[in-house]
Amino acid sequence: MSLTFLSYIPLVLELTTAIIALVMFKKYKFSNEKYFLYFLWYTFLIEIVGLILGEVILVNNFGVYNTFTITSMLFYFYWYYSILKKPEFKKTVIIFSVIFSIVAFLSLCFESWKVYHSYTFVTGAIFLVVLTLFHFYQLLNSNEVLIVKYKLSFWISTALLLFYVGMIPLFFLMQYTGIVGISYQIILLSLNVILYGCYTTGFLWTKKEYNRF
Amino acid sequence: MDQEGVQSFLIVFSIIAFCLALTVILLFAIFQNRKNKLLRLQQETESKFKEELIETQIEIREETLRNISWELHDNIGQLLTLAKIQLNEADEACLNVSEASETLSHCLKELRNLSKLINPDTFTSLTLIEALQLEIERFNRMKYLKTSLQFNEETFALNTKVEIIIFRMLQEFFTNTIKHSKATELAVWVQYNANTLEIVAKDNGIGFDNSNLSKGIGLSNIKNRAKIIGATATIESQKGEGTQFYLTYINNVS
Repeated sequence: MSLTFLSYIPLVLELTTAIIALVMFKKYKFSNEKYFLYFLWYTFLIEIVGLILGEVILVNNFGVYNTFTITSMLFYFYWYYSILKKPEFKKTVIIFSVIFSIVAFLSLCFESWKVYHSYTFVTGAIFLVVLTLFHFYQLLNSNEVLIVKYKLSFWISTALLLFYVGMIPLFFLMQYTGIVGISYQIILLSLNVILYGCYTTGFLWTKKEYNRF
Repeated sequence: MDQEGVQSFLIVFSIIAFCLALTVILLFAIFQNRKNKLLRLQQETESKFKEELIETQIEIREETLRNISWELHDNIGQLLTLAKIQLNEADEACLNVSEASETLSHCLKELRNLSKLINPDTFTSLTLIEALQLEIERFNRMKYLKTSLQFNEETFALNTKVEIIIFRMLQEFFTNTIKHSKATELAVWVQYNANTLEIVAKDNGIGFDNSNLSKGIGLSNIKNRAKIIGATATIESQKGEGTQFYLTYINNVS
């Protein structure tokens, strides 16, 4: 019972963030971050579909989550490609996307669709952490460092960095400690709170004039 | 959960919490450090700009005083002397009195011109073009050089401080032309484009070797000033070919 209750909380978090993103849309509609509005609603939708399949229809829903991992990573890569300015960084994003796509494709071919594709996730997560660091490097080397807390892109990168810095060790430790069930749920929930907390802070704090690149 | 489950949960949880805390602290420290550095740098640039501005204003004032002293000596002094001689000779022919009065009225006109130039309020309320016109009129009146000024009508408002520094750079160039180049002609073009200001000044003097450029203090001063307002200034010259001064300033209206 408590386990099901815990798995509803991320859904509430996602919905709240998506609604706030919608209300604040006019603050960032001219920036590259505008796609995050659609992305957050897409996340919410996936979560609902996953929950319905898993809890109501009672079928294996890992296929949905695997799809989400692949599409969300590719979306993040695309976003970083559009906001990173250095040609070397842009090239790295392309290389990361290609490697990630290959890993994802191989997992789809050789792994069962009824398990979570951990190689795909770990590859994507590590690449994403590197890209957030690239973005921070870019912010640090521009005058934007003075107004960074008003930039939505800073908050998104912070959210992603913290979430995946937590997720990667969790994933590896899971193999060795056999941490399952409620413990896993609690940690995942905490990380989700951080992720959506950063998003929400970003949407609320951001100022229109700083979101034009 | 059994005992083992709780234990492994605590281990995993603390490791992850530690990772997150470390990331947050590092991020905060690096960003704060960088921010402070940038703020300090901005302050330094600003104070440097202010210092330079004050120095420039003092130089312009000095230059003006020097010009006045020359004008008093060469122009008005000469005229008054002439009038005195004419009056001394008044006994011989009455004609000379009217000549002397003419000289005196000429003298008065020059004095009025001069007093207009001295008034400190004049310069601060002038635009760059007006200040340049006054300077060039003076060259022509004093017969130092034959000078021309061309500019287009579409001007945009420049920061007064930037204008002062640009004017001083041109004044420095003109002084060099008069003192060293033995030029007989000087031409100045001022072109206001959409958001750039281009100024070209050319003389027909003896010029100098471009490789000796670094030695002239006046010329390196011009370049330093250009850097401070974010403009690019180049001075080109060849022996016997005259000297050209180019200045490009991009007006950042944000």
